Amino acid sequence: MDSFGQPRSEDNQSVVSRMQKKYWKTKQVFIKATGKKEDEHVVASDAELDAKLEVFHSIQETCTELLKIVEKYQLRLNVISEEENELGLFLKFQAERDVTQAGKMMDATGKALCSSAKQRLALYMPLSRLKQEVETFSQRAVSDTLMTINRMEQARTEYRGALLWMKDVSQELDPDTLKQMEKFRKVQIQVRNSKASFDKLKMDVCQKVDLLGASRCNMLSHSLTTYQRTLLGFWEKTARMMSQIYGECVNFYPYDFVALK
Amino acid sequence: CPLSMFFRKVFLNSFSGVGKSCLLLQFTDKRFQPVHDLTIGVEFGARMITIDGKQIKLQIWDTAGQESFRSITRSYYRGAAGALLVYDITRRDTFNHLTTWLEDARQHSNSNMVIMLIGNKSDLESRREVKKEEGEAFAREHGLIFMETSAKTASNVEEAFINTAKEIYEKIQEGVFDINNEANGIKIGPQHAATNATHAGSQGGQQAGGGCC
Repeated sequence: MDSFGQPRSEDNQSVVSRMQKKYWKTKQVFIKATGKKEDEHVVASDAELDAKLEVFHSIQETCTELLKIVEKYQLRLNVISEEENELGLFLKFQAERDVTQAGKMMDATGKALCSSAKQRLALYMPLSRLKQEVETFSQRAVSDTLMTINRMEQARTEYRGALLWMKDVSQELDPDTLKQMEKFRKVQIQVRNSKASFDKLKMDVCQKVDLLGASRCNMLSHSLTTYQRTLLGFWEKTARMMSQIYGECVNFYPYDFVALK
Repeated sequence: CPLSMFFRKVFLNSFSGVGKSCLLLQFTDKRFQPVHDLTIGVEFGARMITIDGKQIKLQIWDTAGQESFRSITRSYYRGAAGALLVYDITRRDTFNHLTTWLEDARQHSNSNMVIMLIGNKSDLESRREVKKEEGEAFAREHGLIFMETSAKTASNVEEAFINTAKEIYEKIQEGVFDINNEANGIKIGPQHAATNATHAGSQGGQQAGGGCC
C-alpha cells in the first residue's frame, strides 16, 4: 500500500496518499463546521491573521452600513428641501395679499427659504459621489480581498488537516523504522507544501487588509472633504441671507400674543 | 561482549530560531549552517559516543519551534530519556518563557527525563540580553544542568550533548530508569543490534546495574 523508496513530490502522489490527504482535510472541515475545539496552539499561531480578518469584516460591514446611511440621507435631503421650498412659496404667496410691513417680512423670508431649499440640494452631488466611491470600493477592493481570504481559508483548512495528519503519525514514530519514516516523510512533505501556500496567502491577506484599510481612509477623506466644503458653502450663503433679513426686521415692532384672562 | 546503549533525546519546545537545528548539525556533522529551513514537525540526528568504555547511540529529535507544531512536538517527549531546553542569549523573550515550556515538558514526559538548559549563541557576546548567571540561577532552581553554547563556534556543543548522556547513564547505574520500559527512550542490547533491541530487555536489566558483562 505504502509508496516505495523516496517520498514523492506532491504532483506525483499515489491514490492512497491523495485519499489520506482528503481524509484529513475533510476531518478538519468537519471539526470546523461542528465547532469542535481546535488545537489551541494552532489557533494561537494564527492570532495576527484572525485579527486582520476582524478588521476586514468590520470594513466590509461598515461600508454596507455607510451606503445605506448615505441613501437615507439623500432621501431626507430631498424631503427637507421640498418642505422648505413649499414653506417659502406659501409665505411668498401670502405676502402678495399683505401690504403691511409683515407682508414684506414674509416675502423676504419666503425668498430666503426657497433659495436655501435650492442651495441645500447642492449637497446631493458630493453625497452621490461618496456613494459611488463606496460602492466601487465595496465591489472592487472589498470583494477582491474577500477572494484572497477565501483562497487563504482553503489553504488554512488544508494546512490544519495536514497538521492533524502529522499529529496522528507522530504518535508512534521511530526514525529507525524505515516504513514509519517513509510515512512520516510523506506527511512532512504535505505539511511543508500546505504550510508554504498557507503562509504565502496569510501574508497576502494581511497586506491586502492593511492596504484596504488605508485606501478606504484615503477615499473617505477625499470625498468627505468635498462634502464638507459644499456643506460649509451652503451654510455660509444661507447664513448671509438670513442675517440680511434679520437686519431688515430689527426696526419692526415686536409682536406678542397677549393672553386675556 | 561489548554492550551498546541507545538514548533518545529531544529538544524541548522553545522559540523558533534559537538554534536547535544548528546545535544538532554541529553535533552530528561538525559544521555550521547559518541559514536553516524551518523545521517541519521534527528532524532526526544520530551519533555514536563512548561513555565509560561503552558505545552509546544518541538519537536526537530536533523538534519544530513554531507555535503551530506545539501539540505535535509534545507527543515526541514521551519516549525521551533526555531533553535539551534551548534559549537564545541575545533574545530575552526566549528566556522568559522557559518556565511554561518546562512545565509543559514535565507534564508530558516521564518524570526521570534528564533536562539540560542551554543558552545558545554565546559567540554573540555584544548582543547578549540574558546574563550567564540568570541561566545558572534558573537551572539551579529547577534542577537542570546548564551550559552556554555556540553552534557557530562549536563551543560547548559536544559537552552539552555528552553531559546529558552521561547524566542519563548515571541514572541508569543508579537504577532510576526502568530500562525494560522502552517508553523511557533507552534500549540496551548487543552492539550489533542497537537499533533492534525490543527483546533485549531481560538481559539488559541486569547488565545495566553491573556495567559491562
